[in-house]
Amino acid sequence: MKRAPGWLARSLPWLLLLSLALFPLLAPSLDLDYYVGFIRHLLIVMMAATSLNFILGYGGMVALGHSGFVGVGAYTVVALVDGGVTSAWGAWLAAVAVAGAFAAVIGAVSLRTRGVYFLMITLAFSQMLHHLAVSLSAYGGDDGYSLHAPLLLGVGLDDAHPHVLYWVVLALAALLFTFSCRLAVSRFGYALRGIRDNETRMAALGYPIYRIKLAAFIGAGAVAGLAGALLASHNKFVSPSVMHWTESATLLVMVVIGGLGRRWGGPAGVALWLTLAEVLKLYTEYWRWPMGLLLVLIVFLAPKGVVSLFEGPRRAG
Amino acid sequence: MSLFSADGLFKHFGGLVAVDRVSFAVEPGEIHALIGPNGAGKTTLINLISGLLPLDAGRLVLDGADLTGLPPYQRVRRGLSRCFQVTSVFGADSVFDNLMLAVQARAGSSFRCLRRRAAEGSLRESALALAQKFGLDAALDRAAAILPHGDQRKLDVALALATRPKLLLLDEPLAGMGPEDSAQMVALLHRLRTETAILLVEHDMDAVFQLADRISVLDYGRVLASGDVASIRDHPEVQAVYLGTEASG
Ligand SMILES: Nc1ncnc2c1ncn2[C@@H]1O[C@H](COP(=O)(O)OP(=O)(O)OP(=O)(O)O)[C@@H](O)[C@H]1O
Ligand SMILES: [Mg+2]
Repeated sequence: MKRAPGWLARSLPWLLLLSLALFPLLAPSLDLDYYVGFIRHLLIVMMAATSLNFILGYGGMVALGHSGFVGVGAYTVVALVDGGVTSAWGAWLAAVAVAGAFAAVIGAVSLRTRGVYFLMITLAFSQMLHHLAVSLSAYGGDDGYSLHAPLLLGVGLDDAHPHVLYWVVLALAALLFTFSCRLAVSRFGYALRGIRDNETRMAALGYPIYRIKLAAFIGAGAVAGLAGALLASHNKFVSPSVMHWTESATLLVMVVIGGLGRRWGGPAGVALWLTLAEVLKLYTEYWRWPMGLLLVLIVFLAPKGVVSLFEGPRRAG
Repeated sequence: MSLFSADGLFKHFGGLVAVDRVSFAVEPGEIHALIGPNGAGKTTLINLISGLLPLDAGRLVLDGADLTGLPPYQRVRRGLSRCFQVTSVFGADSVFDNLMLAVQARAGSSFRCLRRRAAEGSLRESALALAQKFGLDAALDRAAAILPHGDQRKLDVALALATRPKLLLLDEPLAGMGPEDSAQMVALLHRLRTETAILLVEHDMDAVFQLADRISVLDYGRVLASGDVASIRDHPEVQAVYLGTEASG
């Protein structure tokens, strides 16, 4: 595939951001109102996917429990709202902190193992979290919990425009994405990839392997928690199904088809997956069949993720 | 006082005793060669000293600091570094990125995540200086995996030196090298002795006799003999076990 010229490649992200920012204003005249919510959801899932890509693609940690942290974030919001908290920022920040704390404990244990054992342990932890949520009858157990009172953004934002949450989500997603790009070319990003590629040598060079991996794991868990908190605000509803293991698996698949360890891998995978699902659902309720076939096709056509099709020969950071 | 001392190092794999109560010392500025037939336990010994394998028993002291039981990275901080018998570099990365990663390990925190590493001039300079020292400056942009074998060996040693060790453990740096590369590496190791003491595991006896201040001979995990070059060369037991087979083989 031909490579876009430098200036185009550099301005594309900004054009994308601009069109996303303008979309809610143009949507009514285009009769696309429904898709404002769709894109808002997409942006939130992208945050979770980007955080997973960080530990999975850059860190080589094949975790199959990432939706557990999404769930922890979402249920933190539920608990706070149930307790009378009304500040959105406060609730989201708390979700980040609580999910980070869970990731610290789970990571501290899981990162003592490797490969398939790591996968199993992260899966087991997220299953435990799922069961915990089911057992929380105060928050609706299996039926979930509806957030009746809306969380407030304050500073006059709440009544400014019906789509204000969209822009807040977009701003957070853009910030997070920018940060993840910078992280990838920082000392920490290089160290993490070094550990992925040759852990023994990194140990011999004097890197504290375990601590670096744990820091990455905690950061990714915290970001997933933010995604969960935003998801709670987005849906105004949370149920244990957000942290079902199949959600972790779907996230993982999205990252893989997008491009493992590539900066656009998370966003591209999420956009592709959710858009395909949305389109197929228009035609049939049995959309999972054609979806599976398409997935196989993508894996064969772009084994390194769809993003790799747009890359030059040199490895991107 | 010795720079480094190993005392009663012991390691077994199941029923096989790979390192059997080994004790030795390395003096400041010394190149201490460790020789012995295949399977004698040399690499295992280096793994024990660098901490990649846990000791069953024994004690390690470097420059007054007790290293026993420390994780590998803390041993590196206290001045220990090693290269690998089987070249261990970052194959997909360029030579420059390999060196940057090694230099970064020593220079400040690797938890920095907001600053672009490429903007850190001092790291860059250290990496380039290393490349020059090892004659790798022409290959900076090439992926490590596609370098000729000799250059890969040099890169492996360069990575180990990047952490600015007090004691450098070299596991057969000349393995598989042609005569030209070997000569370059020997000259380089000569120059390195002003920077660091070296524990040199090597099968190339010419190189060992040229470089070593002292030689220890390992056989079946035990130190068979230890002394200066002349005494080892003439040691009857050593000749029988090692030099003899080398000469006839
Ligand atoms: N991880 C391991 N598990 C079991 N046995 C091992 C392990 N590592 C080494 N050994 C055994 O320990 C003995 C010493 O091996 P080592 O690699 O230390 O020898 P060496 O002196 O480095 O040999 P060479 O000159 O061939 O490199 C050998 O018999 C080897 O098979
Ligand atoms: Mg060996």
